[in-house]
Amino acid sequence: MEQFVSAFFQLFELTHLLFLFGGTLLGLVVGILPGLGGTSGLALVLPFVYSLEPSYALAMMIGVLAPTTTSDTFPAVLMGIPGTAGSQATVMDGFPLSKKGMAARALSAAFCSSLMGGVFGAFILSISIYYAIPIIMAFGFGEQFLLIILALLMVGALTGENFIKGITACILGLIIGSIGSAPITGDLRFTFGTLYLVEGVPIVIVGLGLFALPEIVGLLDSKGAIAKALKNEKGWFRGVKDVFKNWFLVLRCSSIGCIVGALPGLGGTVVDWIAYSHLKQTSKDTSDIGKGDVRGVIAPESANNAKEGGALIPTLLFGIPGSGNKVLLLGGFILIGIEPGLEMVTTHLDLTYLMIWSLAIANILGAGLCIGFASHISKLTLVRYYILAPIMIVLIFFATFNINRDWYDFVGLLGFGLIGITFKAFGWSRPALLIGFFLSTKVELLSYQTQAVYGLTFLTRPVSIILIILCFGTILLLLRQKFKQSNTSSSLKNKKNQIYYVLVLLILPLLMISMISSLDYRASLYPISLCVISVLLLTIIFFVKIIEYNKYHLLKYPIVKFVNMNIYEQNSGFNNQFFYYLSFIGYLIMNFIVGFPIASVIFINAFIIFHDKRDYKISIIISFILLVILWFLSYMLTLQFPNGLIGLLIDMPWWLGGDLN
Amino acid sequence: MYRFIILLLAGLFVFSFNAHAKVDFSGKTITWVVPFKEGGGTSRFSRFIQPFLTKYLPGNPTIKIMHIPGGGAIKGSNYFQKNAKPDGTYIFGCSTSVIVNVATGNPLVNYNLSAYKPVLLLPQNTHWFTRSDLIDEAHDISKLQKRKLVLYGLKTPASADLFHIWVFDKIGIKGAKPIPGLSSSGAWQAFQRGEIHLNSQGAAKYIKNVKPQIEKGKILDIMTLGLVDANGNISRNPLAPNAPTFSEMYEKVNGKKLSGDDLEAFYSIAAAWSQASKSMLLPENTPDDIVKVYRDAAKKMVNDSDFKAKATKVLGPYPLTVGEEAGAIIKKAAIFSDNTKKQLNKVLKKHKFTYRVK
Repeated sequence: MEQFVSAFFQLFELTHLLFLFGGTLLGLVVGILPGLGGTSGLALVLPFVYSLEPSYALAMMIGVLAPTTTSDTFPAVLMGIPGTAGSQATVMDGFPLSKKGMAARALSAAFCSSLMGGVFGAFILSISIYYAIPIIMAFGFGEQFLLIILALLMVGALTGENFIKGITACILGLIIGSIGSAPITGDLRFTFGTLYLVEGVPIVIVGLGLFALPEIVGLLDSKGAIAKALKNEKGWFRGVKDVFKNWFLVLRCSSIGCIVGALPGLGGTVVDWIAYSHLKQTSKDTSDIGKGDVRGVIAPESANNAKEGGALIPTLLFGIPGSGNKVLLLGGFILIGIEPGLEMVTTHLDLTYLMIWSLAIANILGAGLCIGFASHISKLTLVRYYILAPIMIVLIFFATFNINRDWYDFVGLLGFGLIGITFKAFGWSRPALLIGFFLSTKVELLSYQTQAVYGLTFLTRPVSIILIILCFGTILLLLRQKFKQSNTSSSLKNKKNQIYYVLVLLILPLLMISMISSLDYRASLYPISLCVISVLLLTIIFFVKIIEYNKYHLLKYPIVKFVNMNIYEQNSGFNNQFFYYLSFIGYLIMNFIVGFPIASVIFINAFIIFHDKRDYKISIIISFILLVILWFLSYMLTLQFPNGLIGLLIDMPWWLGGDLN
Repeated sequence: MYRFIILLLAGLFVFSFNAHAKVDFSGKTITWVVPFKEGGGTSRFSRFIQPFLTKYLPGNPTIKIMHIPGGGAIKGSNYFQKNAKPDGTYIFGCSTSVIVNVATGNPLVNYNLSAYKPVLLLPQNTHWFTRSDLIDEAHDISKLQKRKLVLYGLKTPASADLFHIWVFDKIGIKGAKPIPGLSSSGAWQAFQRGEIHLNSQGAAKYIKNVKPQIEKGKILDIMTLGLVDANGNISRNPLAPNAPTFSEMYEKVNGKKLSGDDLEAFYSIAAAWSQASKSMLLPENTPDDIVKVYRDAAKKMVNDSDFKAKATKVLGPYPLTVGEEAGAIIKKAAIFSDNTKKQLNKVLKKHKFTYRVK
């Protein structure tokens, strides 16, 4: 109780609130930009937070995470595009409402229910912390191992469009995560003699590469939907009234959000649909749902904010992230020296409460800002992407360099960027890959630890049995719901590419097997077993794709039919996206030659003017403002700009990339 | 090549002009390279020292701490070796893991640690303890020696945790079996859940987490590593004055004094693990007058009343080592004799580890 109160006072310290406020603003912005979400936002912030006090860093990170699910309603309602993966269901009724001229009502109802859901989630989290100690103590190596395996299964099964592809993505993540020094023996696996790969690629780089870059090129490729401008809209109050009229629905959906959020692996992508179908099943009058019923906005929005509180439970107590953004949150914890687990509810209890309070405040702040400044904030959806994209890229590069001041990180960033773009284009689950990557070392260690302490008997311990039943129950239940409709259509043009891509993916496990099979078995057993499994799964996927491509009549068998479901991705715009990706490589080369500040100015101007010559004034102003901001950041946080080859010839001042001294 | 020439010129310059000039850092920025992430022990150590050092160095320079984590501390250490100028504007924050990387012959090491000039060493000490249902009374390990399986946590054999294997071997706990991949806090949690039998912690965690449980009767002390002074005398740890040191336990178990190869190995291990647990070093080839200025500043700092008041709480109860004798300790810690290496490899082999000290 004492910590509960002291955290409360700490929260209202001015600097603390400032960081929380800054984080919230950033969270609002990344939520509004369609496609970007908490994962990309957090990846951008992480390189800067670890020079801060832990409590400030936490406030900032929570600030970024909490309001993304509030502000993502703007594009959902105004453009019919989900702002984050968690607001897909909001589009169903939100967009029709806005077409009927009731955008203001839809938005205010959404913000209001987001607020309620978010605060409810924080409340549930603070209660469950109370009962956490016995739960954590009951989870030995065996239970933890099982929990992770089941979480991975759920992530794999449910975050991708196709069951087998999701699981495979997970295992590929585990394989990539096993690169570096083997935790048991210290043998170096797949490092090609470089020091960079010994500890593996930093998680922030992987997050930025897998999420931020693909979303940016995706946006560029979509050329931007036309957003409806909010002008003199009325009905703000009506939306608030709607929420209070449906208070019971808000409560039910918030509870659903909390529970689903707390199940590792489910989090982000499905919770809004579950709430939405709950609404459909429980309401008497369903005639308007899908055509502009305000309840269709209230249900998913209260659920997707409440899920944040729920999702923090496994994250804080077991270090098992439920979604992509929780992976990065955990990465941030590690950076500022906080280890999830028992300490979060004992010695670091004040920090835990601080996070809960921050979560509640950030939700209130986010919703308040959204309602109060809706017409101004909504203008962000009007900004053209080709102006936004280069700014984001410059920020990402700056963030990347400041993690380790290591040029190899750019290679890692662009490498994972390519993986992310192709994964997105060909319908492979990126959250599954990221979570697999993050948990890999833990899985390997726990498998040895469990074996050493329990052998196989861990499976018969009571908690284990409960876990197994819970997991398979949820997966079956949700799979049935999720795969009712299949998008295996015959009109896809790029099936061949998608088949080739499976072959490309096969290279990783095969190469890995050939390179590490000579190591001690304690270093090679884990990655090689994963590789063998992934080769099997990839082969299955390959043949099913061939079967579907040639329309063999094997398709009538139920198992083949099941595996075949959604095995191709429909909206694949790989070629254009790859072209944009190449421009990032050009930017990197410029960085390497002339250093970061000059390269950025060239890149921003070239990128914008290439798209529209008339925008040269905008591009010059933007590049200048951005430089000033980066100079300020660099000065305040003693961050260094990447210095190019030119710096070896001429002594550059610090603001052009020279030494800080 | 370019950097090398600059270094050479800078070195010459320092040598020819600065040798007689008074060392003054006013207006300069000193970079303190810490090869670990923020929030770790070495980071805390340097952050604590930083303001005092600014106060006592001539010219009160700004000191900036630069964290370069990665590669098991090798990345930041190699960076320091490559980039540090030997003119007093670069300091290295060193810890046991940095030393162990050198001592065990890690092939990725590119830093010449034993030639660095130590300014200040901060000792730490290890406490070993077990659950009260596993032994009859504190400090009596006879029951553990007879037990078939005694599990304990071990990060990796390529870290300082390697010494646990040697220690348990020498005090005759035959059933000792390491559970790999457990960080110190992970091992503590597993110990509390009852999954492992032996655990060890440093001073800070010992006071905060272990002592309260000892008072409740749930945990019993086994021994401490013991504090080694400049003459090689081993004394008990003031935090657990009743607990025997490793050498006392060795004598009790083996019936003879700790001597010969075992004593030699113990001195090396104690130097790396305990005496030079955290340290502050200057790059190799730093001129003697600059080293002296730093050591003088450190001496003044240790006697600062404000420092004294806070140090015990932040750094632990052990006296800091300043000056010449620090150099001998770092050398002993970083260069293991062939006999010591042979001993370590023997216990590694015995426990079926493929890792070898080179």
